[in-house]
Parts: sequence; structure tokens; C-alpha cells
Amino acid sequence: MGYMATFDVPEFDYTRYSNRQLAAVPLAVLAVALLVLTGSFLVTGTPVQLGMDFAGGSELTVQTTSSEEEIVEAFDEEPESIQSVTAPDTENQYIVQFTSTDLESLTDQAEANLAQDGDVDIVQQESTVSESFGSQTQQTALLGIAVAFVGMSVIAFLLFRTFVPSIAIVVSAFSDIVIPLAFMTVTGISLSLGTVAALLMLIGYSVDSDILLNNHVLRRQGDFYESVQRATQTGVTMTITSMSAMLVMGVAAWLFGVELLASIGIILFVGLAADLMNTYMLNFSLLRWYKFEGIRSS
Amino acid sequence: MRPKRFILEYWRLMLLLVFVAGAGIALFYPGGVIADDGYVDDESLDDNPTNLEYGLGLDGGTRISAPPIGMTAEDIDAGAVSDDGAIDRERLTEIEDALYDELGLETGDVRVSVDDGGSVHAEIFTDEVSEDEFAAALDAADVEVDPDDGIREGVTEETRDDMIATIDSRINAAGLSGGDVYESAQLGGAYYVVTEVPDMDPDELRELLSERGLVEVVAYYPDEDGNHTNETVLEGGDIAAVDPPRADGGGYAVPVEVDSNAAPEFQDRMNELGFTDPNVGMGQCGLATGTDGVDFDQAGEHYCLLTVVDGEPVDAHSMGDLADGMRAETWDSDRTFQMGAQDQQQAQALSVNLESGQLPAPLNFEDEQTYSLSPALADQFKLYSLIIGALSILTVSGVVFLRYRDVRVATPMILTAMSEVVILLGFAALIRMPLDLSHVAGFIAVVGTGVDDLLIIADEVMDEGEVNSQKVFESRFRKAFWIIGAAAATTIIAMSPLAVLSLGDLQGFAIITILGVLIGVLITRPAYGDILQRLLTDK
Repeated sequence: MGYMATFDVPEFDYTRYSNRQLAAVPLAVLAVALLVLTGSFLVTGTPVQLGMDFAGGSELTVQTTSSEEEIVEAFDEEPESIQSVTAPDTENQYIVQFTSTDLESLTDQAEANLAQDGDVDIVQQESTVSESFGSQTQQTALLGIAVAFVGMSVIAFLLFRTFVPSIAIVVSAFSDIVIPLAFMTVTGISLSLGTVAALLMLIGYSVDSDILLNNHVLRRQGDFYESVQRATQTGVTMTITSMSAMLVMGVAAWLFGVELLASIGIILFVGLAADLMNTYMLNFSLLRWYKFEGIRSS
Repeated sequence: MRPKRFILEYWRLMLLLVFVAGAGIALFYPGGVIADDGYVDDESLDDNPTNLEYGLGLDGGTRISAPPIGMTAEDIDAGAVSDDGAIDRERLTEIEDALYDELGLETGDVRVSVDDGGSVHAEIFTDEVSEDEFAAALDAADVEVDPDDGIREGVTEETRDDMIATIDSRINAAGLSGGDVYESAQLGGAYYVVTEVPDMDPDELRELLSERGLVEVVAYYPDEDGNHTNETVLEGGDIAAVDPPRADGGGYAVPVEVDSNAAPEFQDRMNELGFTDPNVGMGQCGLATGTDGVDFDQAGEHYCLLTVVDGEPVDAHSMGDLADGMRAETWDSDRTFQMGAQDQQQAQALSVNLESGQLPAPLNFEDEQTYSLSPALADQFKLYSLIIGALSILTVSGVVFLRYRDVRVATPMILTAMSEVVILLGFAALIRMPLDLSHVAGFIAVVGTGVDDLLIIADEVMDEGEVNSQKVFESRFRKAFWIIGAAAATTIIAMSPLAVLSLGDLQGFAIITILGVLIGVLITRPAYGDILQRLLTDK
């Protein structure tokens, strides 16, 4: 491989590690993630901080020559957060979030107290979600995730019809969702409709590489390690491709202030990284155990 | 190779080309393939080179979702519908009156109706009455209802449909094209009424939605003890037709036609009360009216017909020329008269309220969800979506080129993945699906899953050395396809709850992702197999 600007999936010498050793890493990460979520639940009442979509609140996108401090001063209520938008052709744009749901008085305050930028309207975007609407959405989203997860598990069992390889897929998918959730708790990203979409998308994406691995090992003839090697070549490329697309989308959308795309991109990136670990350490070790010991003992 | 054999062998590729061409036509054929029989959107026709329609998130506008306020006793045993389906209207009115009296409600806040199945429902449109009080009031009308099981929050489907029709008609009357009103079901059986309009800010839209638009004609006349009495003689529902407002003397008037069922009663009552008698009430209205409403603080006896909107008197008129016809009892064959208003704006509002009908139940803005986006920022979002989409595709292409270092494998891969997006866009243009940011996220996700699957096909087919025969190729391709099919099935299952549940923005994302996966598995990914086969076997 003499080319610098190319990438190859490195060959990993699985034979040097026992199943226990391989599974320990992802399981430990999963345990830490669960611990973070439980801790947050005990302290704040929710495993992940809920964004406006779920907890209620208001958001304004304002175009103004006032500074960030002046924007904070302009409102009776202190804003929850304020983000300046960095995008081509755009200056002096800020996204301001509030816990209040009195949109009318918030826009009035913005229009009265902020300096107008040329002849552009001060309030460019306004939205509010009442607390009761938010809790409705919360229940609906939980139901959606639950149904998606159960549906995915059923499909996994239908595809492979054996317990260990199917449960391996289900466990990795579970971990793929829990790790980004813990990541959100730690980094302070709040749960929004966009992040829920990303979590559901993760269920779909993460299962791809697991199915690929299981398929090569279980449904093909040939040496176990060779099959794993081939599945890894394809699978890692797939995941890296998706990860880079999501990273670019996440960062660009975050700079532009397009929250929906930003949260989908960033959460999918983290989740896919978790998936790399879960597929090639956790799922692999369960598969190897099943192939060399599980079949014999059953 | 002869063309016929070529087509037979590469039919999958041909199919892809047909779909891409079809998508191109759907996207760029002026005016769209299916004629737009809905609203006219002149503005976007001018500056939009494609037939794509944009939703609120990419075009600007305001959306307010709020649930109706009300309580319903469903399928009550009212004794108003006989076994042969005949409906006892008087009994329904009796129950309505009992509810008004017992609960002290305003006009319009009670509705007792019979649905198509012959079930009777009683609704009250207020949040100031408890379930127990509602049940007790029904009991006073000899209707027995269990306050816990028999009464629920919310209003009937019929009422919601009326609300949607009324709001829709108000939006159209306000001259706003491209508006949309629909209901959205929540878990637990609650419904939200969702209103979307371009070119209106949330305050204006909220005002349009919060007016009940309840129009009444009230007779104001002296009673025995020297005071004056108010009596509703016509309601909005009694008006059959409305003409555009016109100037009338100093003020404005809205010419209306009274419904043939209500006209005789109105005529009789006017005669009884003496409104039509030149010696009693004809022309005898001395109440001053101004923009603040009607000033009742006037000495003397008055016979006035008040125009009342949402409980507020806006105009007072005496009985004029109509009196002769009414006295002769011939007016009820003509049935027209003019409702007064102070200025043109009020007359316009009155005419809209009469035309659109009243909003049966008020909306609860405490529970609202509002989203509003200025057209300027919406334009920026369109640009950002393009940039983000292009960057994502570029990144994916870069990684794929780095991985294969073989342009023959990578180029068709990128082109195929992009053709998936083109077909999806064509489909969206064809069915006029309004695109939002969530759809953009869906398109990017489709490129992601698409390339993943193409990678599986490429690796599988090129695995284990040279592909030297069609047979080897077919067998490897089938193996790859099993994985792709399995992965597609899980993605569809994972996304389907979102496509069905009302989670606002996410529905579009889920629908595009599912459609993309289907188009991918059925059309584009098999076609990529054909391309690879051509490249690898025919050297």
C-alpha cells in the first residue's frame, strides 16, 4: 500500500484475543453509558435533557446588529441558550431559546429591544411548543422507538432463526442507541425530534453491518477468520463512508443553524462509531463463541 | 451485440434509465405532469425552475397546532331517534336548551347532534365545566350519563370537520393561497387542528383562529317594565346566502338571504314584537353606533335589530323598507335583507364570518405548537440544504474513490446513488409532496444507505477473483442481494413507526427514507449490478 491518499481496512488479528477480552470492552462502555443515563435520571429526572420539542419552550431566530449580551438583555426572561449562525451570506443571525411559551411577548420584546439589521425583519423564525404538546410528543416518540426496536429484533430472529447470532444483533443495536444517548447527556445535546430520527436511523444503519457479518460467517462456507475478514472489509468501509457523510452534514448544518440536520448528523456519527466497536468486538465474540462452542454444546 | 439482446441482458439498467428519465420529466416538464388542481402558487412558479413544491420549513409561513376546547358525551340515550331513523329535532333542541340553562353557557357553546349512524352526541365547548356538572346538566334533560365513562375530553369528528372547513374558508377569504388545514391524531385519542399559511405571522393567524365568528341578529325592544329586552331572532346558521358587502348610506351593509326554514318564524316574530308596525317600532331605533360598538345608554323606547358578533353588538338598525313586506307576510318568499356594519373592514369581517360559518369550538392556545419562518430565512435554508447535500455526496464519493482506487467501480457507484435521489425528487415533484428540511435529511440518509448497499454488491461480486462468466456473476449478485434485502427490511421496519405516528417534522424524513430504500432495492441497486457485470465480464 504505497499510496498515501488511500485507505484500507486494516487486518485485525482476532486470534490473539479471547472472546471474553473482546466482549469486555464494548460491554464496559455500555455499562458506563447506562450508568451515565441512570445518574442523570436520578439527578434531573430524565436520562437525557429534553429539548424544546419534548419539554416545551420557545425559539426565535433573530437578525440583529445587537451583540449577544444585548440580545440576552433584550428579554425579560433569560434565554436558555443562544447560538450565532455561521453561514454563507449570513451575518448577525442568532438562534435564541427560552423556556417560556409566551411567543407573543417574546417577539414583541425582540422587536422592541433589538437593533434592526438594515430593512430585514428582526424575527426570522419563531416557534413554540407548549408543555402538554411536548409531553404528547415525548410519549409518541418513545412508542416509535419501542416499536422500531421490537420490529428490528423480530426481523433479526426471522433472518437467522438461531438464538445467539440474532441476540447478538439485538444487543449491539441496543448499545448503538444507548451510547449516543449517554454522549448527549455528557455533552449537553438535548433530545429533539431530529435526534430521535437519528436514533431510529441508527437501528437501520447499525443492523446492516451486523447482518453482513452474521451472513458471511453463518451462511457461507469457508474458514471462519477468512469470512470475518471479508465481512469486515465491506462493513467497515460502509460504516466509515456513512460516518464521514454524517460528520460533514452535522458540522455544516450546525454552523448554518439548521438544527434538525445537525442533530441527525452528529448523533448518527457517534452512533456509527459505537457500531464499529459493537459489531467487530461484541457481535464478533458472540459469533465466534457460537461457531466454536455454542453449536457443539447445543 | 444486437440491441434486442443488449436490452434483454441489461434490462435492469434500462429500467433505471427509464425511471431517471421519468423523474427528469416530472421535475422539469413545465406545469407538472399531473395538473395542479389545488391552490395557485404564482410566486413559486416564477422563481422555481423545477416542479418541486416546498413546505413551510423551506418556503416560509406559519403553522399553529392547537386542540379544540370541549367535552363530549358520546352516544347518549336521548330518545330523539326512533327505530325507523326519524329524528326528533325538538327533543334535540330541548336538551340543548337544558344544557344552556343548567350550565349558564354562551350561545354556540352547546351542540346536540345526530351522526350518520343515528347516534346522538352532546358537546359543550368550554373548559369551565366539570364532567360531573355536565352529567348533572344532561340529567336535568332526562339523559343519564356516567360522568367517568360516558364523558370524554375533546369534540366529535363532525365538529372537527366543521372547524377545519370554517378555518379553510376563512383563510381563503383572507386571500391567502397555499394554506392548509388538517387534523392530527395524538396518542390517547386527542386531536389537534393544524393550520398552515404562507404570508402571515403567528399573531395574525392566532387572531384569525381565535375568533369564533358567531353572528346573531338580536331584537332589542322595550318590555313591560320600561326596560329593554334582547332576543336572538336569527343565528349565523339561518343565513342561506351572503353577497359581498356594499356601502349603504353612511355605513356598510352585507346583503344576506335568510334560509327558507327560518324566514317565516323571523317574519312572525318581527310582526308580534311590533317592529313592522309604523305606529310602534318601525323606524324607531335611536341607539348611537360607532367604531366602539353600540351605545345603549339612550333615553326612550327603541326597536332595534342588533348585529352581534361573538357576543359584541357591532351595529343597530331599525326596521325600514322591509316592514311593509313583513306586515303583508310576503317577505318570506323573498327572504333578503341587509345586515349593518360600521365600516368596510367590519362589513368584510361580517361577510367572512357569515360565509365561513362559525368556528364550532374554540381552540385551546394553552396547548399550542407554533412554528413560523420568514421567507428570507426559508430561502437561506434552501441554499443550505443544497450545500449540505452536495457536501455529503462529495464526502461519500471521496471515501469510495479512496477505498477502491478504481474509477470504473467507484464512478458508477456514485452515479447510481445519485440517481436514487433524482428518482425520489421526481417522485416528490410528481405527487406534489411539499419538501421540508426533514425530507432533505431523508435524501441524505438515502445516499448513505444506497452507497452502503452498492459497496456490498461491489465487494461481493469482485470477491474471490475474476468474474469470468455470467453464471458466476449472477450467483454472487444473488448472495449480495440477500444481505441488501435483509438490511432494507430492517430499515423499513425501523422507520415505519415514524411514517405513521404524528411526530411533526419526522414524518417526511421517514417517508423519504422508506421510499428511497424501496426504489434502491427494486430499481437502482439491481441496475448497479448490471453496470458492474458489463464492466467486469466484457473486457
